Amino acid sequence: MAKRVLIVDDALFMRNTLRDIFATAGFTVAGEADDGVQAVSLFRELKPDLVTMDIVMPYKSGIDATREIVQVDPGAVVIMCSALGQESLVMEAIEAGATDFIVKPFRGEDVLAVVKKVLGE
Amino acid sequence: MASAQHKYLSIFVTEAREQLAQLEGELVRIETEAEGPAGALLWDSIFRKAHSVKGSAATLGLTELVALAHAAEALIFKLKTKAQKPERGQVEMLLQATDAIARLVGQAARQINVDAGDALPRPQLEGPPSVVGAELVERLAAAAQALPDPQPAARFRGIEARPAIDPALPRYQVVVQLSSKCQAPGARALIVQRKLKALGTLIDLEPTPAQLMQTKGAARLTADVASARSADELRLACASVPEVDSVTVSSTGNGVVQGGAGPGAAPPPPDLAAVKVDQSPPAPRAQVDGRGLRPEPTVRVKAESLDQLLDAAGEVLLGIARLREASRKLPESHAAAFETEVDRLRRTARELHNKVMGARLTPFSALTERLPRAVRDLSQRLGKEVDLIIEGAEVELDRAVIEAMGDPLSHLVRNAVDHGLESTAERAAKGKRPRGKLTLSARRERNYVVIDLSDDGRGLDGAALARKAIASGALSAEAAALLTPAAAVELAFLPGLSTRAEATDVSGRGVGLDAVQRSVEQLGGRLSLRSEVDCGARFTIELPLSVSMSNLLLVQAGGEVYGLPVARVLVTTEYDLSARGGEGFESRSVIVGGAWVTAYGLATLFGLPSLSPPGPRPFVVLEVDGVTFALAVDRLAGQEEAVIKPLAPPLDRVRGLLGTTVLGNGRPLLVLDPRGLAEMAGVHKGAALRAEHLPSRGAA
Repeated sequence: MAKRVLIVDDALFMRNTLRDIFATAGFTVAGEADDGVQAVSLFRELKPDLVTMDIVMPYKSGIDATREIVQVDPGAVVIMCSALGQESLVMEAIEAGATDFIVKPFRGEDVLAVVKKVLGE
Repeated sequence: MASAQHKYLSIFVTEAREQLAQLEGELVRIETEAEGPAGALLWDSIFRKAHSVKGSAATLGLTELVALAHAAEALIFKLKTKAQKPERGQVEMLLQATDAIARLVGQAARQINVDAGDALPRPQLEGPPSVVGAELVERLAAAAQALPDPQPAARFRGIEARPAIDPALPRYQVVVQLSSKCQAPGARALIVQRKLKALGTLIDLEPTPAQLMQTKGAARLTADVASARSADELRLACASVPEVDSVTVSSTGNGVVQGGAGPGAAPPPPDLAAVKVDQSPPAPRAQVDGRGLRPEPTVRVKAESLDQLLDAAGEVLLGIARLREASRKLPESHAAAFETEVDRLRRTARELHNKVMGARLTPFSALTERLPRAVRDLSQRLGKEVDLIIEGAEVELDRAVIEAMGDPLSHLVRNAVDHGLESTAERAAKGKRPRGKLTLSARRERNYVVIDLSDDGRGLDGAALARKAIASGALSAEAAALLTPAAAVELAFLPGLSTRAEATDVSGRGVGLDAVQRSVEQLGGRLSLRSEVDCGARFTIELPLSVSMSNLLLVQAGGEVYGLPVARVLVTTEYDLSARGGEGFESRSVIVGGAWVTAYGLATLFGLPSLSPPGPRPFVVLEVDGVTFALAVDRLAGQEEAVIKPLAPPLDRVRGLLGTTVLGNGRPLLVLDPRGLAEMAGVHKGAALRAEHLPSRGAA
């Protein structure tokens, strides 16, 4: 079974870029959310194997969304997508329960390396 | 280069432009709205915009843009943490960064030519200031440096409280080598720390995650762990962390039992909850957003697709009209049933057309978004103080209207700031409040959107305008004498008429109010002006909600049928000019509603023979620019609602023509431009005077 991923980012550009990376690697993109509120509700609905989570988003930050997702499912795999210079936010997200992180700008292989590692593949 | 080939570059450009436009508006607002919770939300929003553009740009490899956005974001972050009113210079710098980023986005856009039809034109009041990116980055960094560092979060400082250690547990030293490619060793160390804590008691970690923050590349972590788990388990757990090159686990022997996992040695629960106790319940969305409820889900559609969809919907309507026409040839027995069906189809098609029109609606804010910035820059340059108030930003207009109104509106705004509003000193001398007030509002009225731009400046001097108009030969002294003060003010719409003696580099001399009026009228709208000296001026633009469906009056002249926009028709009448001397009626007058109106032959204007027999003939009375005139036609041929298509070159240069459409019977129809006809006929302001007490459709 292909792993199912939920992509969360407020920029369509980033969502499309990530979608291509995952699709090429044989993942199923189960859904996309463009803010933290939508992310949590889509997570409940889709129960994806993996979430990529932007940090700075409207309505609800990626950190708060991660915290709620982990409450819903303590085993949730949430990978933060952060930009350079956001380390303290990434660390806050990790304390909120994020599994791991990737730093923009990323190449497809960087993303997949992290994802495969945290999924234990 | 990589960015040129990126398939989502156009999406980036569109998104970035939107965000930059909003960022600009928010930066202007933060100057006055920085305080309180609303200010904090505004800062958050500003930060988010800069941050989002940076993230996408980084993925595209737009390094110069990333550097600028990063420097701007750093300054924003510190200002946001300070939660105070920013200094003017700081905002100025951030606005310059916004401009510079926008230019870089523009450069990226040129690589793919996404400009065509993808972005709404932004009203631009002034050319962008030329700031060299690198120099700006430096200034932003210096400005950020000058601000105090926010307190680093205490929770990252390490392991706050020494945990109680079960002396019975084996002790290990775990050494984790982080990869040289590691981008955020602090965060990486935090993950290692969490892994170890999940398997035992972490007694010490060197260096701490907090110490590694702001560093990059390889790092060597040494942990002291008491755990009931085996060395292998510890090693595997650490090795499963990305960006970890190697892990060595050695027993430090403090423990008593090796590997004897007693029931009490179960790993402590993950300490997520212990670390952060300030988990306030999530705030309601409306509060979080700061702008109201979360918008409905939307999809992005190419403007071009919507145009094509609208064209297609229009074609369907035309096709149905043709069907109806054809059905007249059906035998009566079938006609009724057929017509019922056609009618039903027509209603559906009309609904479809309306829905597509609705989908093309764009909020007025697309036009006003950049005005606060422009007004701020311009008024500062002119040494004036101006409050710009925008109302009805949510009112929706057709995209085509929005596009066409960008320049005219910024024209009017620029005029108001430059000419309309006085300097602070002049206002003080007049006993006015020192800050000039400029109000731009949009509201919906039936099928029209009414845009008002009013200022409390010096106003227009009708008498002075009249003198100018006489001096320039645009108006006769007699005609001027008949002008009411209200009508005289609208002389400002005449080409090349300005009461300002000197031209300024901001808006030139008497900048084409005539051009503004022309743009408005091309959209089937009206521009009017009220003003009183020293009280201010109010421009009112009435625009149709939709530009494509127009009501046409069909008239026949010289054997041809033409369409005239009903919006311009005051009245139709019949008159027998032959009773007053035959066919030579050019520039004769007819009496309409008790007033004399000059009449012209439509056929004659186009150099066609009039085919009307002597005797009573129909006249169409039109109003353009407040001037009323009558057109003699051979026959009134009915009314039709039609989708007007613009003329293609070279026909678009023919005077007196507005566009084309196709009638229900399939025949093409030329739609006439009343303004062009007035020009061809040489109708001038004087002609209107005698018609002043005609019922005017525009007068509110």
